[in-house]
Amino acid sequence: MRIGRRLLLRFFSFLFLTFLRSLVVLIKAHSLRTATRRQLTRERGAEIVAIQTAVTEVAASKLSSLTPFWAAYKAHADAFDEMFNRQGAPRAGYSRVLAEFLATHADRFDEIRARADRMFLNEGVTFNVYGDSAGAERIFPFDPIPRVIDAGTWANLEAGLIQRVRALNAFVADVYGEGCILKDEVVPADLIKTSPQFRRAAAGIKPPHGAHITVAGIDLVRGADGEFRVLEDNVRTPSGVSYVIKNRLVMTRLVPELMREVGVRSVEHYPADLLASLCELAPSGVSRPVVALLTPGVYNSAFFEHVFLSQQMGIELVEGRDLVCMDHKLYMKTVGGLRQVDVLYRRIDDDFLDPVVFRPDSLLGVPGLTSVLRAGNAAIANGIGTGVADDKAVYAYTPAMIRYYLGEDAILPIVQTYLMRDPDMRAMVLRDIDQFVLKPTGESGGYGVVIGPKASDRELAETRERIQRDPAGFVAQPVVQISTHPTICGHRADGAVEVAPRHIDFRPFVLLGERPRVLPGGLTRVALREGSLIVNSSQGGGSKDTWVMAA
Amino acid sequence: MLRRIADHLFWMARYLERAEWRARLADVNYHLLVETPTKDPHPWAPLLAITGDGELFAKYYDAPSETDVLDFFTLQTRNPSSIVSCVNAARENARSLRHRLSSELWLEINTLYLDAQQWMPAVFDQQGVYAFFNELRNRFHRLSGISHATMPRDVEFDFMTLGTMLERAENVSRMLDSKYHYLLPRLEDVGGPIDRMQWAAVLRSASALEAYRRVYGNQIAVARVVEFLLFDEAFPRSARFAVDRLQAAVERIEHTAHSGEPAVFAADSPGGKLAFLLREGNAEAVIAAGLHEFLMEVQDLCADIGSVIFDKYLRFE
Repeated sequence: MRIGRRLLLRFFSFLFLTFLRSLVVLIKAHSLRTATRRQLTRERGAEIVAIQTAVTEVAASKLSSLTPFWAAYKAHADAFDEMFNRQGAPRAGYSRVLAEFLATHADRFDEIRARADRMFLNEGVTFNVYGDSAGAERIFPFDPIPRVIDAGTWANLEAGLIQRVRALNAFVADVYGEGCILKDEVVPADLIKTSPQFRRAAAGIKPPHGAHITVAGIDLVRGADGEFRVLEDNVRTPSGVSYVIKNRLVMTRLVPELMREVGVRSVEHYPADLLASLCELAPSGVSRPVVALLTPGVYNSAFFEHVFLSQQMGIELVEGRDLVCMDHKLYMKTVGGLRQVDVLYRRIDDDFLDPVVFRPDSLLGVPGLTSVLRAGNAAIANGIGTGVADDKAVYAYTPAMIRYYLGEDAILPIVQTYLMRDPDMRAMVLRDIDQFVLKPTGESGGYGVVIGPKASDRELAETRERIQRDPAGFVAQPVVQISTHPTICGHRADGAVEVAPRHIDFRPFVLLGERPRVLPGGLTRVALREGSLIVNSSQGGGSKDTWVMAA
Repeated sequence: MLRRIADHLFWMARYLERAEWRARLADVNYHLLVETPTKDPHPWAPLLAITGDGELFAKYYDAPSETDVLDFFTLQTRNPSSIVSCVNAARENARSLRHRLSSELWLEINTLYLDAQQWMPAVFDQQGVYAFFNELRNRFHRLSGISHATMPRDVEFDFMTLGTMLERAENVSRMLDSKYHYLLPRLEDVGGPIDRMQWAAVLRSASALEAYRRVYGNQIAVARVVEFLLFDEAFPRSARFAVDRLQAAVERIEHTAHSGEPAVFAADSPGGKLAFLLREGNAEAVIAAGLHEFLMEVQDLCADIGSVIFDKYLRFE
């Protein structure tokens, strides 16, 4: 990641220059030349303020008249539009991006998108869809209009994410240790013990510095009020980070001049951070740990990501059949014989991890791995049984969890959640079932989610029946009017590229090593179908590059 | 290095080499027939004999017409050795180890794979057989160039070399055998213009014609062609060259793996025997004693070396 640091340094040294340069471009375009020359001679602090004001004003007042492309854009009537406020002016962070890129490059969006898709296909940046024939690979469609998060908003998000993942990690350690939070009845014990993600085998495994959750992906959405809310936690094997890095690569490759002009924080050091966090898990006394990434194999939907991360980290990509446990130690089978593995970044589910303890029919895992972990001769990320913390029913208790472990109020609010195991809540939800989003607690990836207002009567009747049969298996949430973002959506009749609002979410990634590390960015997924709220790649979603602004 | 990765490297390289030979064989046969029209009702049949695919072909096609053989050789996915099948298999192996390949090499293999999925029988009409195979051959050269330019010369490269060279030695031998047995049905043609033309075609299919002329001049004679394709030390598609590279790669792997077992190229092993045959032999002696028998022995030894390598380094389950 030497390059990353160099880029970062270059970025900082160019920060002030960038301001000036972007200003100059604007001045030329909008005939503010004389006014700003005067500003340039002022003190530095005042100058920056003046520049920012100038940019905002120009962007707000001139953009719609400058380009028919943006003039044709109609924001969603009810949802929060990420780029424009109600008055049609760009929001914080967007003004510079709009002026520098979105206005001037609008005619290139089509080309950029086509080139990005081609690049992903040729490079094999693909995912497999379950249920399709084996080997069917698809690309994750890329939308060239970036999503921007300004520095202030990001600072708050970052603090909220760290707080949340710390509490979730403490919860996992507690559940498989003393069980204090259950004894104190902050979280009902039976909720945990009956959770499909609870793993008795995890009791007694003590990872170094208590890190059960090394990698977390927290799904956030913005409601109509514009506030970020946690929609879902992913603390088992969250995926998507490779797209964050690849999307950025596409943008820098296709519009290189742009990334220099706008101060976007780099995401390319993620693999180095991940490797550092993994190395910190190594058993004490191991100075140069051998780390490997365990994949279920080429047919897994996230196989590209497994390849990408292992390549970027320079570690072995292994399958279960490459590994063997002997004398409570973990080895991989190399050409030169067996080689001990210290840390395993596993991207396979608990159920398949160790046929001795979990599903005996699993061919993907390593027999005896659990005993290796218990002996402390190797560590895995994420730990066994972390799924208790991202259970959709446990989610309802996360604000209480944060107060309990950290003595703080949650920085990031959650969505109001009704547990169907509670008879009163159930009665209330079933009365107006078409007003709620109904989620099975054990599933992830958007599978099994029923959106009340959009579901057919038959679907609702079926869901009602399933809830009554298995109340603990469901939660209900009010429909969140999730935010929208301008997105390229095909062509108008006259052949011009059409831009329209589409719903988006956000998955930032948090690493919990000896210290927390948050990737300044994340995966913005976009529901490409009009009106659709489901952004999952497996269900017709696409993605955008996410720009966290440096200042 | 993981045994599974070694296995994928070996097979990736092997399938690419096999695909390349298939392309060369089909190409050369096509041009041979353009240049020397024949009365043979099935001039494409010998090609099936060379590759040992006669039975499989008969399962799906009636008679070995040009269209059908080209289809079978190039596009037919039910033929596990068709160019498309080999490319698919190479890419499937590459996919499992792409974290170990240079991104340039992966990109080249993947684009070849993606393009191959678009090939239709019409491709021969649209592009012309010559242009199609010419482009294909260039792509295989590019693949080889990218491997050499971007992959570190370590054990991983050695496993690729194993796959490439083993496949190459086998294919050279097979091609010579076919010419000797199938392309020459009538005794009176021996040494005649058709015979010379055919031997020239054999050389050309190994990209060896120019190199041969540099060594032996313009005259094409059976013994010299055999000498060149089997025993020449310097030509990169001779059996001798392949075995030399194979042995060097195996010995580097043995050195790295520190295995105490007997070496693959020990004197009485298949490797040792093959090296002896190709280093000490010469065309005159081999032809006198029976070329076919010699070539069969070479092919058998190649198969034996393959299984020794598999047992020692690739078997992992």
